Amino acid sequence: MSDKANDFKSLDLTVGDVFSKEARLKARNVNVYYGDKKAIDNVTIDIGNKEVISFIGPSGCGKSTFLRCFNRMNDTIDICRIEGQITLDNENIYDSNIDVVPLRARIGMVFQKPNPFPKSIYDNVAYGPRIHGLCENKEHLDSVVEESLKRAGLWDEVNDRLLSPGTGLSGGQQQRLCIARAIAVSPEVILMDEPCSALDPIATAKIEELIHELGNEYSIVIVTHSMQQAARVSKRTAYFHLGKLIEVGKTKEIFTRPQHNQTEAYISGKIG
Amino acid sequence: MFNFYLLVVILLISFLFFFIGLKEAKKLRLVYKNNLHSLPHYYGFYALLASLLPSLGIYFLMTIGDDFLFSHMIKSYIPDEVTNAKDYNFLIALAQINNSVEGLIFGTPPQWVTDAAELWKSWVQTSNIIVASLCLLTSIASGYYGFLKINQNFRSRNAVEKIIMTLLAASSVIAIFTTIAIIFSVVFESVRFFALIPIDEFLFGTVWNPQFEGAERAGSGQQGLSQYGSIPLFAGTFLISFIALCVSVPVGLFSAIYLSEYASSKERALFKPLLEILAGVPTVVYGFFAALTVAPFLRTTGSMLGLDVASESALAAGLVMGIMIIPFISSLSDDVINAVPQSLRDAGYGLGSTKNETVLKIVLPAALPGVVASIILAVSRAVGETMIVVMAAGLAANLTANPLEAVTTVTSQIVTILVGDQEFESAKTLSAFALALTLIIITLCMNFYALHIVKKYREQYE
Repeated sequence: MSDKANDFKSLDLTVGDVFSKEARLKARNVNVYYGDKKAIDNVTIDIGNKEVISFIGPSGCGKSTFLRCFNRMNDTIDICRIEGQITLDNENIYDSNIDVVPLRARIGMVFQKPNPFPKSIYDNVAYGPRIHGLCENKEHLDSVVEESLKRAGLWDEVNDRLLSPGTGLSGGQQQRLCIARAIAVSPEVILMDEPCSALDPIATAKIEELIHELGNEYSIVIVTHSMQQAARVSKRTAYFHLGKLIEVGKTKEIFTRPQHNQTEAYISGKIG
Repeated sequence: MFNFYLLVVILLISFLFFFIGLKEAKKLRLVYKNNLHSLPHYYGFYALLASLLPSLGIYFLMTIGDDFLFSHMIKSYIPDEVTNAKDYNFLIALAQINNSVEGLIFGTPPQWVTDAAELWKSWVQTSNIIVASLCLLTSIASGYYGFLKINQNFRSRNAVEKIIMTLLAASSVIAIFTTIAIIFSVVFESVRFFALIPIDEFLFGTVWNPQFEGAERAGSGQQGLSQYGSIPLFAGTFLISFIALCVSVPVGLFSAIYLSEYASSKERALFKPLLEILAGVPTVVYGFFAALTVAPFLRTTGSMLGLDVASESALAAGLVMGIMIIPFISSLSDDVINAVPQSLRDAGYGLGSTKNETVLKIVLPAALPGVVASIILAVSRAVGETMIVVMAAGLAANLTANPLEAVTTVTSQIVTILVGDQEFESAKTLSAFALALTLIIITLCMNFYALHIVKKYREQYE
């Protein structure tokens, strides 16, 4: 085993199968720089259709930075610069004639800390459809809000107080509200940046269950610190280390038979 | 000068006790092999404070007290023929004596004044000796008491902490006490005013026309010429403040939004100090800017348009006051807008909002309570502003909503009433205090309301 892993040590390539048969998102040779510092080094990976993939790795390995490349959230950081190509359905999202507004409607995002707007629950979910003009009338909007809250598993808990503030909900409910807000604009891909790191175990279990269900309809990329979580929710797992994508593979195989020695070290708790 | 030397000596004694205490503590530390409750210098400090504070307390009490005592004692030395005179006033007699004591002699004072002054001087000398010996004795005695308390188990660190905390608390009590004292002095004078003028006439009257009338009202019972209806003044104040807000709220708020959301860090570093310079301009400068530049400009522009603009129009004062308040609103709003968590902006961008949508629909609503609070604070600043309106707004108490006419404000009336020689018993002078009291109440209410809003806003994110 260790002999085999050592063979890969010298190679500057990702171990495992980075490609996917029905890829929606394709990243090719992506480099990200913060000023002079290289945060992501030559990463190539596919995200398949209706696939849940988790990015794992030690703190500061660039997994969140890489995630934020997919909906161009890094644009808001002045010193951030991106090289390489990322395509959504074979369309380069960094092309100069691509508008980030519809792009971000197609690729939703859920953040580390629940961040509901200081508005009512209803207005939180309705925000996206409103700014993108997705609904012609109030009834349509009502049904979109209801549908999104149902999918996020929050409807039964909040249907009698839709007009009370979203910030008044518990942490786990707030995070599900943020998920409802993201799916209200019917995205194709949902990016989740450590969505459970601020939640207690019970709330985490609910979100994980939800991710599992949503995986039947959306492509989901989830960044997580918890290997157990990656094992529970995702079919594929990608391991990042120091800005490099070290290994990609079926979650089961990554956790039981890691091929790269660094992956093995991380999974067995030697680095982290 | 004597008092200064006395204070220096007291200080020196207490420093001496610091070193004595320190030395003793170091000695004890050696004896008990480092098993002393506090570090040695805490014992020194304790001895210092024990020596200094009681004697300082006695010094201040006695120097404040002896003036009262002497003026009471001197009463019996003023000859009967003086006290029986028709226009006798004890305070004036006292002032004569005090002037003589301090060597301010105008002409030849009567013999009894010189005598009393001599007597007073001798009292001062005696009291100086008593104060000095008492203070020195106290400082040595209490310092020695502090020194005696030094032993292995004495918790000098805790004692010093406690004394220092008490001193700090006393300082904040002084600030609070002063505020209360100011309010009370205004209240008492106002009560005297309301004894002369009914409160409903003051609050609801629509004509402001104070005249000096001497005994007219009190003596003959005849209705005087004066009228003390404060409504025109408050109407003028709020008209000018309203104009000021119309200028400062949009400009201040928009510049705050630009600075916090759109400006690059370089632009921010340039614009923010520039805006703060605006806050540092003395209001008197704004005052003559309003009176000499803006008012004539409005007048000529008005006549070009066929409008009759008063040379001291509410508009000129309001516009300039608005410019003065801009930095207030912009820097306070900038703070609240910056306090909106970045995660909310990220959420907005993540859903595909443009920058403008994020600012308008997420950041501003979230910051709105804070922005409103900053506007209320700006209003109370505008209402209390004096210099600009004194110079630019005129004194005619017109009850009008037309910004082109001259109006007057509460503050500028107070200034005109109290500047110069006044007879302090007249309703005209006292009316200044009633106006001030009303103004204080209004601004206090607004400040409380603003603080309440800010507090509520804080709870939203925590």
